[in-house]
Amino acid sequence: MNIEFSKEKLDKVHELISHYPQGKQKSAILPILHLAQQEFGGWLDVNTMDYVASLLNIQPIEVYEVATFYSMYNLKPVGKYIFEVCQTGPCMLNGSDDIIRYIQQKLGIGIGETTKDGLFTLKVVECLGACGYAPMMQFGKTYREHLTKEKVDSIIDECIAKAAMNN
Amino acid sequence: MSKKLLLDKAHIEGIHTYDVYRREGGYKSVEKALKMKPNDIVEEVKKSGLRGRGGAGFPTGMKWSFLAKPEGVARYLVCNADESEPGTFKDRYLMEVIPHLLIEGMIVSAYALGSKVSYIYIRGEYDWITDILEKAIDEAKQNGFLGQNILGSGFDCEIYLHRGAGAYICGEETALLESLEGKRGLPRIKPPFPAVRGVWGCPTVVNNVETITAIVPIINDGGDVYSKIGSGKSTGTKLISSCGNINKPGVYEIDMTISVEEFIYSDEYCGGIPNGKRLKACIPGGASVPILPANLLLKTAKGETRMMNYESLSDGGFATGSMMGSGGFIVLDEDQCVVRHTLTLTRFYHHESCGQCSPCREGTGWMEKIFSKIENGKGEMKDIDLLWDIQRKIEGNTICPLGDAAAWPVAAAIRHFRDEFEWHILNPQECLKRNYGLAHYADPLEKSVTA
Repeated sequence: MNIEFSKEKLDKVHELISHYPQGKQKSAILPILHLAQQEFGGWLDVNTMDYVASLLNIQPIEVYEVATFYSMYNLKPVGKYIFEVCQTGPCMLNGSDDIIRYIQQKLGIGIGETTKDGLFTLKVVECLGACGYAPMMQFGKTYREHLTKEKVDSIIDECIAKAAMNN
Repeated sequence: MSKKLLLDKAHIEGIHTYDVYRREGGYKSVEKALKMKPNDIVEEVKKSGLRGRGGAGFPTGMKWSFLAKPEGVARYLVCNADESEPGTFKDRYLMEVIPHLLIEGMIVSAYALGSKVSYIYIRGEYDWITDILEKAIDEAKQNGFLGQNILGSGFDCEIYLHRGAGAYICGEETALLESLEGKRGLPRIKPPFPAVRGVWGCPTVVNNVETITAIVPIINDGGDVYSKIGSGKSTGTKLISSCGNINKPGVYEIDMTISVEEFIYSDEYCGGIPNGKRLKACIPGGASVPILPANLLLKTAKGETRMMNYESLSDGGFATGSMMGSGGFIVLDEDQCVVRHTLTLTRFYHHESCGQCSPCREGTGWMEKIFSKIENGKGEMKDIDLLWDIQRKIEGNTICPLGDAAAWPVAAAIRHFRDEFEWHILNPQECLKRNYGLAHYADPLEKSVTA
């Protein structure tokens, strides 16, 4: 894959950098890594991180340090759809363990694994700030809350239908 | 019914838009503040008695007055919207439902502190809320409340969003500043405090979302009026996000004059516990504060009714009390297992430790392992004392309070629920099939409990 932002995304990069004082462009690293992950296949490989370093005029190691610290950056390939199910206290009290087990059975994968067709990845995560709407998961940009087995089924169906449409 | 200062207009349709918000009296505090001297605003905030709503409860006016003001050096206001304390989802609610309230509070606070460029550091997972806030900022800008020379006052004010990427530790203010500088979120040694050397070495104030929104009613009505709401040193209103085993989980604004019992059982708030079950335990202020059994939650060790405010929740110290913390209110019913619940919290802190200090980096992992052992029927009696020993060695021995936050839930679980731990160890088969249950945790306390 060619690792280079489009003109439109490059403008976004420059706008992000402009939010910080002159010479403090490194501050834009988190938002730019989010953008890079979104643009270049859902994860950050070394080439992508090096590219981000060049955009910010910093050393590649400064990007690796950051990318490995924050849990939202994927450092290996992931499926097209990622289920990130919360397993912390309040979600556990409301049955998140059952939901995680159900997704594992339904997709035939373990935690941290991706289905063979490359469609789904299952991750377990710690508190996402949705404790009153438990059990829940992060699904792309938003949350899916008050999960039940039926809701999980319909989310999976929704993904399969969407993937079929895009092919 | 509690007085509402932040959420009184939250139910109004379209309140997330500038037009409706403005029509309902929004941004009046900016117009008023720009006619005041910045220091007079700080004085009003001091008078209000407002305490930081992120968890530590430090007086906001005092924090503001510590801000260094060297000539020719920029000062910064940073809003901490990295809400990640388990049980806490109040800031999310505020930003989602009434985003302009935060922008309004930011402008007034920025003016008071002399911050021409301010940032909202929002947790990465709140991706869609970033869009909501971005829209609110654009609208405020179009209407002259942000940008150069706002409302002709001569004050320039910009607000930028900075999205995190998944790290609880960045809610700690110095880790947040490191992250804002584009680094790993490793807390700094204090002093120097951010008020002297904050982001990019410049004087900085970091305030929680709810704290900043509370500035709006303080300026509109005056600090004196605000200070008369609530009780004692718990002035104003507090948002409580309640969750766990209750009928009506959600975000409630209280004026800190109601009892814990009323908060749990009244239909106005949590609406009681589902399926007629009994209350076993509760963590009243976010995962980091001590868990209390039902009897000590509803009444203090002195036998007084426990109230939903800073003083009453901490009455008895850690021996028999807890803390208001962030207002993340987690309720456990009679069928819940305190060992299992605390296991999830130890896993959380292990996962979120930044790894900088060895007591926390190693200790949190050890605690998770031992909890897992006990929960899975492989515990030994000496494990309980080992857990106690580990948490003691973490507490107070780390750069930032994450170590304490990891130690306290473990200490409190052992302090109040030791027999539940022992039952797991003595019944290794049975504990895999059923929970310990309510036991004596809701029984009336016969006599004063002392440490």
